[in-house]
Amino acid sequence: MDHPSVSPRARTAGSGLTVPLPVRRLTELLRAKTRGFAQLLIESRGPYARAFENLIVALIIFSVASIGVESIPGLPEWAMRTLRVAEIVTVAIFTFEYLLRVVAARNKLGFVFSYQGMVDLLAIAPFYLVGFDARWLRALRLLRLLRVLKLQTHFLETVVEERTRELAEKNAALEKAQAQLKAELEVARSLQLAILPAAFPARSGCEAAARMIPATTMGGDFYDYIELPDGEIGLVIADVSGHGVPAAFFMAVARTNLREQAVHHNDPGECLAQTNDALCAQNPLELFVTVFYCVLDPKSGVLRYANGGHNPPYIRRAAGIVETLRGAGGLVLGAMPGSRYPTHTVQLLAGDRLVLFTDGVTEAFNPAEELYGAQRLADEVHVHGGGTPAALVERICQSVTNFAGTAPQSDDITLTVLTWGAP
Amino acid sequence: MNLRIEEIGDVSCVAPVGRLDFDAAPGFQEALERVFSGAGKTPAAVIIDGTGLEYVSSAGLRAFLLAARSAQRAGISFALCALQPAVREVFELSGFSRIIPVHADRASALAQAQQGRA
Repeated sequence: MDHPSVSPRARTAGSGLTVPLPVRRLTELLRAKTRGFAQLLIESRGPYARAFENLIVALIIFSVASIGVESIPGLPEWAMRTLRVAEIVTVAIFTFEYLLRVVAARNKLGFVFSYQGMVDLLAIAPFYLVGFDARWLRALRLLRLLRVLKLQTHFLETVVEERTRELAEKNAALEKAQAQLKAELEVARSLQLAILPAAFPARSGCEAAARMIPATTMGGDFYDYIELPDGEIGLVIADVSGHGVPAAFFMAVARTNLREQAVHHNDPGECLAQTNDALCAQNPLELFVTVFYCVLDPKSGVLRYANGGHNPPYIRRAAGIVETLRGAGGLVLGAMPGSRYPTHTVQLLAGDRLVLFTDGVTEAFNPAEELYGAQRLADEVHVHGGGTPAALVERICQSVTNFAGTAPQSDDITLTVLTWGAP
Repeated sequence: MNLRIEEIGDVSCVAPVGRLDFDAAPGFQEALERVFSGAGKTPAAVIIDGTGLEYVSSAGLRAFLLAARSAQRAGISFALCALQPAVREVFELSGFSRIIPVHADRASALAQAQQGRA
């Protein structure tokens, strides 16, 4: 650190002023030694540095106390002599410490004019000045009391150092914990996305596409395709209250329960009722989930459905007319055991599209705090629903994203589109 | 969102103003719990006046569900009134209007609350 600024000076000294070699050697040696001591006793903050620090503090206390003892009248000569010798030794050590601090400081001038630098200088200066003019002796002696300030700077330094170190340690621990949490959330998110079905079961005449865009890293929405024993296909769209980790857990529980019940209960309403009871029995966080569940017979196009508090889906008829799948629904699932869910039936015609969605679509806000709304969605389905399911899903997601603009996404956005029969 | 709380006899009327979404739901829930426990005396009924309630998300619905349960445990009658059409639709779609009474306006909600005690 020090060498770049030192060596040019040494070179000038060597070439311009003819300093004798032994002197130069000696100063270089001294410089190296001082640096070594500065490193060992100040910079290293190791055991030697701590011992040196303690020695200085002890000396300060001793020297301030001895100033008091000195002022006692009629002190025996031997005591005065001892105190004078002690003062010389103390000042010598303080001077040594001061030099080490100057050497150790990155900004040497900065240290000299810093509060600590000035206090350290004041602690030794009176001793040297007294040599020049004895008349100032008494006044300057009193100045030695300023060594109390030196004590303060030492303790202050120690406390600040300790706090800084503690803070750094805590910060490092926090950062580590946060990184770990983030990594775990990432894993949980990929697990959650892996739960969503990758592809629609292969059935002639049926085609489906879906998309889920979570609002936070963990979403509470899900969709599912379930292959039922008699060749029928179950379709699910659901929205757990809230989002984040609790919602994601509840989503996984709800999805598993629904899958299990779907296989055993052919009737969608009965399936939801059973799932609801199961969820109510294992719902410590008192969350709930809105579920639309329908069963499609791919051979006949008959769709049976039941609704547990979910937004009613749309059917786009081949002619482009958009109908809402109304029909009395039941309470959201997980809220109250014993809830009932009536089953309704609708006949799909060739080329019809079924559009399932969560309220993240219709309740997307734009920066002016306006809702996307059911009408915009119905219009998109009406105008652009003629193509493939994947194209319609893409189109609606694009439309919602464009509408929301810079407004933050407040809820998960989930969409499933199914076509039955030849388009 | 803001809450205006009014005491009419032993009935507390709570009027939330703004959007009850994921961020607002916990505060709303806490405020309702404070109303239920009352400052010294427990109200006989709590009515939510939805005149200024613009939007309720699923997290907001959950706050209502938990409030309804707390009220039931404490023996307080709990009802909604004067919901905006969009919010009313959310309560009907989710089935919540079947477990929490919804009245057309504050007067009929108050009348119902008084009748319940008579």
